[in-house]
Amino acid sequence: MNGKKFKIITLFFLIVVLGLVASVYFYNKPHLDVENTPADYVLTAQNLIEEYQKNEAITNEKYSESIVQVRGKITEISTLKGNGVITINDGSLDSSIICHMLPSQNSRTISLKKGQEIMIKGICAGFLLDVMMVKCTLVE
Amino acid sequence: MKEFYCSILCVLFLNALNAQDKYITKEGFVSFFSHSIVEDIKADNNQVLSIVDATNGKIAIQLLMRSFMFKKALMQEHFNENYVESYKYPKATFSGEIVNFNEIEAQNSEVEITGTLKLHGKEKEISTMVKVERTLNEIKLSGSFKVDVADFNIKIPSIVANNIAKTIKVSFELHHKPYVQ
Repeated sequence: MNGKKFKIITLFFLIVVLGLVASVYFYNKPHLDVENTPADYVLTAQNLIEEYQKNEAITNEKYSESIVQVRGKITEISTLKGNGVITINDGSLDSSIICHMLPSQNSRTISLKKGQEIMIKGICAGFLLDVMMVKCTLVE
Repeated sequence: MKEFYCSILCVLFLNALNAQDKYITKEGFVSFFSHSIVEDIKADNNQVLSIVDATNGKIAIQLLMRSFMFKKALMQEHFNENYVESYKYPKATFSGEIVNFNEIEAQNSEVEITGTLKLHGKEKEISTMVKVERTLNEIKLSGSFKVDVADFNIKIPSIVANNIAKTIKVSFELHHKPYVQ
C-alpha cells in the first residue's frame, strides 16, 4: 500500500516538474534565428516591391512570418540607435526596401558602399511607403 | 468603408508628398508599455512613418504592427496572432493636427495634439500633450499617452488577464526632416 502511494506521489511530482520545465521553455522560446535559417522566399528587390504595389493585402499574407531574401542595389546606408539601416532599390521604382539590420551585422554593414549590389535576408514586416524589413542579415 | 478610409489616407499621403513644407520620417519611434503584477511588457517600433505639414500642423502617422519588437518571442507571437491580429489589421494609423502649430514660438514647447487613432479596426479620438522642437531642418515631436485595451476590441484571454495591463502607455519620438523629392 505504501509503495503504491509513493509511486502516485512520485508520478504527480514528475508531472508537475515536467509541466514547469515545459512552460518555462515555451515562455523563453527563442526568437527566429534569421542568420542560420534558410530563406523561405528568394527574389529581387524589384519583384518584391512590385508585388506589394500590385496587391498589398495578399502579399502581406504571403510573406508575413517568413524569411525573405532580396537582391538589389544599395541606395542608402545609415545607422539608427547603433544599428545599420540599408535601403535597397533598383532605381526605377518610387518605393524602396528599408532593411533594419541585426546588431551582429554592424561591422559588415560599415564596409558596404552605395550602388553596390547585395543580398539581404530578413523578416518582412509589411508595406508603408516602402517595404519594411526587420532582423536583416547580409547574405554572401 | 475600408476602401473609403484607404483612399482618404492615400490622398493625405499623396498630398503630403507632392507639396513643399512637408517634413517626414521613416524611422520614427513608437513603443508601448504594459505594467502588471505578474510581468512588464514592452515593445519597440523603429519603423514608424510620419509626415507633418508645416503650413498647418496636420500630421499623418502609419506603422506596421509586425515592426514591434518584443524581448520574448512568445509575447510577440501572441501579440500579432491573437491580440492585434496583424494578418487582418497589419497597420495602425493616426491622423490629426498639432493645435496652433504656427504659433509655436519657444524652442521647446508643450502643445496639444488631437486626432484619430485607428488600430485593430477600431477608431478612437486621442488628445495629448506633445513636446515640439522646431528648427529649420527638423521638427521633433515626443510624448506619451495612455490607451485602454478595451477601446480597441482587443480580447485578452482570462488566463493571462493578470499579465496584461488594462491601460497601456504609448510613447513616441518622431524626428522629421524636410521632405526632398
